[in-house]
Amino acid sequence: MLISAIPSTLIFVISLILIFSEKIHRSIVGIAGAVFMVGLGKILGFYSEEAALEAIDFNTLGLLLGMMVLVAMLEPTGFFQYIAVWAARVSKGKPVRLFVLLGSITTVLSMFLDNVTTVVLIAPVTILICEILGMSPLPFLIAEALLSNTGGVATLVGDPPNVLIGSAAGFSFNDFLIHSLPIVAVAWIATLILLRFLFRDELSKDPANAQAVMSLDPGESLDDPKTARGVLIILGIAILLFFVHHIFHISPSFIATSAAAAALIWVQPDIKKTFERVEWTVLIFFAALFVMVGGLEAAGVLDAIVGLLEGLSSIPPLWFGVSLIWIVAVLSAIVDNIPITIALIPVIQGLGAAGMDITPLWWALAFGAGFGGNGTIIGSTANIIVATLSEKTRTPITSSIWNRRGLPVMLVTCAIASVLYVVLYRFF
Amino acid sequence: MIIRECMKQNVVSIRETSTIREGAAVFVKEHVGLLPIVDENTKLIGVIGLRDLLALELPDFVNFVLDVDFVHDFGAVETSRPPASMLDQSIETLAKPAITVHEDSGLLRAYALMLQHDLHDIPVVSEDGKLVGVASRVDIGTTILSAWIRSE
Repeated sequence: MLISAIPSTLIFVISLILIFSEKIHRSIVGIAGAVFMVGLGKILGFYSEEAALEAIDFNTLGLLLGMMVLVAMLEPTGFFQYIAVWAARVSKGKPVRLFVLLGSITTVLSMFLDNVTTVVLIAPVTILICEILGMSPLPFLIAEALLSNTGGVATLVGDPPNVLIGSAAGFSFNDFLIHSLPIVAVAWIATLILLRFLFRDELSKDPANAQAVMSLDPGESLDDPKTARGVLIILGIAILLFFVHHIFHISPSFIATSAAAAALIWVQPDIKKTFERVEWTVLIFFAALFVMVGGLEAAGVLDAIVGLLEGLSSIPPLWFGVSLIWIVAVLSAIVDNIPITIALIPVIQGLGAAGMDITPLWWALAFGAGFGGNGTIIGSTANIIVATLSEKTRTPITSSIWNRRGLPVMLVTCAIASVLYVVLYRFF
Repeated sequence: MIIRECMKQNVVSIRETSTIREGAAVFVKEHVGLLPIVDENTKLIGVIGLRDLLALELPDFVNFVLDVDFVHDFGAVETSRPPASMLDQSIETLAKPAITVHEDSGLLRAYALMLQHDLHDIPVVSEDGKLVGVASRVDIGTTILSAWIRSE
């Protein structure tokens, strides 16, 4: 028992340290760790290639892949540019109005698309619009990153931790709408109000050239309306099917991959270019982490952890959940929330096996992992992306700026999640 | 034919001790697109292009969007000026490493380098790295074409 548990734990812990240190790309660490784990398992006889393949949650990978292919097709059509230009025109160049519109658009898009994708597509147009207006894009970029992290918590497909949690806990799309969406809605409005206050100086200045945004032509910004329409129709059907997937006993993963297949058949894009935009490194990283955690499980490590945690089941589950929100949030602010989620899933399952009611804990994990990423400039990939883009503008986003604007948002959204978690506990 | 025979030998260059503002003045006065930066022994240490200075007014964000044809009015961007503090910095903060050709280089090799690196002018250096000339695409291209006409 110990002879397999200790070396397999060592492989996992070393891999996590390397992933968090960001010295080596996380997917490379993942592949190496997974290979070591399977190799060790074969030598010591606790893990096999077949068991490693079974450990990979293809439901998660399929859902992510399907959504990534759909977005990859939508990306070059200029649809996101079109929405941002529309927002700029509707705002008539008034900073607060533009701020609320772009922020809300980002929140809603992030509910259905990956946060990183949403920010990658909205932030560049935002910079362009702000430069034309003669305003600093900084408040807008920070708001977009924070709100995309926040919006992503609302749905099953909104961000990778939710996909993982949904798959592990067997939550349906509607489960997320009932439990997570209301809390995100409150957090979203609170974030907008808080940011409006934190950026009150920047947003109260009249832009140097408000009229220029009216020269933006939404029609011209949409480069390929035909493709955009096709992909959006299929994406819409897929989202409708998500609402009813549990009734027909079809998995979200099957819906997403079917939608990707349908869109590919309809649009017939340049498949090589489309697949280049799919984030294979993320999918590989997920698969590798699954193989590693599967190895830990096979080596009996998780059973040992559950044994240790049994003492915890005497803590009232309500407080256990609230503490989980904050612990996961602080961890997610410092390091990537995907490995944290993957590592905690078996622990929560173990607590369930030890007799605790774990359904509320899943939601605590989702809130902590989602809202925690807002805390620091490196807390989520979306934050890193807007910070990198801002380096090309006159007002780069620095870590200290983030700590003054992002950290309050993390604290407020986690506080809101905790309060609502306590108030609504019996519904979880 | 080699590049020495078609390059401009009367090269305008600036010293590495110049400020950005002084560099800009040379661009305006000489009406050139590229300035080689040299040390006291006319050894080439880098180049600065008109494009690198203009980037101070029109930063890279334009390249973030697929195309900018839907923006009919650049608004505040049109009237933005780089801050004075920026203009007083050393020209070396904007300098790029030079892609050069040796004075004995063939014309098509020089042209191929320019195409590959998207250059309009290329500094020509001697054996010991000293700046001896600059050749533009037009200098090189017309010299190549002149051989066609002579051979008729």
